[in-house]
Amino acid sequence: MFFFTYLARELRRRLRQAIFIALGLAVGVGLVITVTAASAGVKNAQAGVLKGLYGVGTDITVTGAAPSAGQAKPSTGSGGRVSLGMGPNGAQMCVNGKCRSLKNGYTIDTLTSSSYAPMNEKAAAEIAALHDVAAAAGGLLLTDNKTTISQNPSPPTSFSVDGTDISQQKLGPLSDAVTKTGRTFKAADANRNVAVVDANYAASNGLKTGGTITIGGTKFTIIGTVAQPEGSNPPNVYIPLARAQSLAEQGPAGGSLKNDVNTVYVTAASAADIPAVQSEIAKLLPKATITTPSSLASEVTGSVSSAAKLANDLGKWLSVLVLIAAFAVAVLLTMLAVSRRVREFGTLKALGWRGRRIIAQVMGESFVLGLLGAGIGVGLGFAGVAIINAIAPSLSATLSQPTGEHIVTPNGALNPTSSHTVSVPLVASVSGAVILAAVVLAVAGGLLAGTFGSWRIGRLRPADALTKVG
Amino acid sequence: MYELTGVGKAYTTGFGKVLALSAVDLTVGDGEWLAIRGRTGHGKSTLLNLLGGLDRPTSGRLLLDGRDLGRMRDAELTRLRATAIGFVFQTFNLVPTLSAAENVEAALIPLRAGLAARRRKVAAALDSVGLTDRARHLPSELSGGQQQRVAIARALVKEPKVLLADEPTGNLDEETRDEIIGLMEKLWREYQLTLILVSHDGAVVRRAQRVGVMSRGSISFGP
Repeated sequence: MFFFTYLARELRRRLRQAIFIALGLAVGVGLVITVTAASAGVKNAQAGVLKGLYGVGTDITVTGAAPSAGQAKPSTGSGGRVSLGMGPNGAQMCVNGKCRSLKNGYTIDTLTSSSYAPMNEKAAAEIAALHDVAAAAGGLLLTDNKTTISQNPSPPTSFSVDGTDISQQKLGPLSDAVTKTGRTFKAADANRNVAVVDANYAASNGLKTGGTITIGGTKFTIIGTVAQPEGSNPPNVYIPLARAQSLAEQGPAGGSLKNDVNTVYVTAASAADIPAVQSEIAKLLPKATITTPSSLASEVTGSVSSAAKLANDLGKWLSVLVLIAAFAVAVLLTMLAVSRRVREFGTLKALGWRGRRIIAQVMGESFVLGLLGAGIGVGLGFAGVAIINAIAPSLSATLSQPTGEHIVTPNGALNPTSSHTVSVPLVASVSGAVILAAVVLAVAGGLLAGTFGSWRIGRLRPADALTKVG
Repeated sequence: MYELTGVGKAYTTGFGKVLALSAVDLTVGDGEWLAIRGRTGHGKSTLLNLLGGLDRPTSGRLLLDGRDLGRMRDAELTRLRATAIGFVFQTFNLVPTLSAAENVEAALIPLRAGLAARRRKVAAALDSVGLTDRARHLPSELSGGQQQRVAIARALVKEPKVLLADEPTGNLDEETRDEIIGLMEKLWREYQLTLILVSHDGAVVRRAQRVGVMSRGSISFGP
């Protein structure tokens, strides 16, 4: 009782100083909360972007290395290895070694994997067997290229095709998809010519469930349409992996892709295991490209990237500096207050108060100031977050992705990329853990100040203290 | 009660060693009122600090009821100050944020008395110095004489054996001085205290049973 009375009276006596210390701590804490919330908002935006752009619902994506320009022979056209020349029946076009006479209305339709080198499908099983891997599924990311011979030439068309492992649809591009019409794959579809079409692609190309689509020269029945999350860049068409392996050819080389995959989707046992799994896969498949959320994030450009850098660099250091300044001010003011009360403490020692009791009194005052700073700081933090959410513009994220096309020119082969930009809102949010950390920080600041002040009291001899002029 | 043999106190300063007390021999009996006078800087307050366990002698032996204060651990000295020794200072030394009653109560905190016992003792102590009606007043709301009365109540509330007063009337006018000295004399008799009072005021010193004079760190007594 006496402890609290003395504490409250003392704080009231130096009210202005107490408010100054508490406000200093509050500004530091408020800034930490605001920056942390903004940083978390940016991270969430980044995660949303990455999920939207890839939409694979996996932790790690393993792809075969992209073929280099030197691997391809010069030719013309797009997709596959295409060459024009004269055959026994006149002009002919050869795609991946298959030559056809150039008759009017003839369509050359190839399904190729020109972006990624193939891997044996056993790679997925080997990865799945690794420690800390929860699941792994292989897939084939392909491009269907169509070129029609006509007196009125039209540009070649292409669309992306995903060979989906039907037994593991929770991994890969279909994992985030929502069925709009019809259905997705069943186990019995493994070797059937059935396809699921992206709803947007279906709408823009007049495709419907129950209709057909020609892929690699083979007609597939459309069994359903699916919608992917907004802002994502999904494949246009999904077909069973076995059918994709059967129809597809490796782009420039023109080889078969039977028993091959070019992508393995991996889920780690936990987020903390991702680096270890990445390392294990790198040992298992040294030539493969391994993509993790963090490596993917580094490829994202645009304002979301700038905001992340701003929050991580400037914001973090600004809050650290303000916190240090607040702590320093609190320490200095507390030491000043203690130095003005030396005679008072000397008197208490003369009355028989133990040093520990006096230190507890000073620490109690500092603790209360820390709590006060924490309370105001949390309020300031929430205000800062509200301001950010009110005025922050939407962030844009741009990620370059291979188009899947492989263009061979006289100067070499090209694997063009497309830039995909999405807009995401920045929503800063404060978590309970951040509030707790902020309160601990402010109280720690107060106690730090009290400790410095108390250190002097502990060393004070009563006779010396009583001779001080306070 | 007090038995000092060859007690000395030296301070080390930037200019070398300063001898504040040199070989003081002194005996003060139970219930005695000893006044110590002398010029400023001749060791009066230093001697009082040693007698009150606020400082330690650098030489000699200082016994209180047979216990050597110079050899006691800090915790023992603190306990001794809390239970057996009361102090009254020239500048009153009241805690400015606490009321008169709370200032008196502060002396009971180290004794860990219960709240009810503390309140009862505080009321009695304030009554003994005639300040019952000022219990809730802050020091800044009291006159100098009233503040010194609160300080006396604070010194006596724990019922000590010894009361040490360092220039208790130094900051008071003559009328208040006489009032305070009269009060101290009354309480000295009432509580059967051993009172050691330092003052350079002849009117105060004359009331004591025995008067010692401090000069250059040594004490002497007249015939």
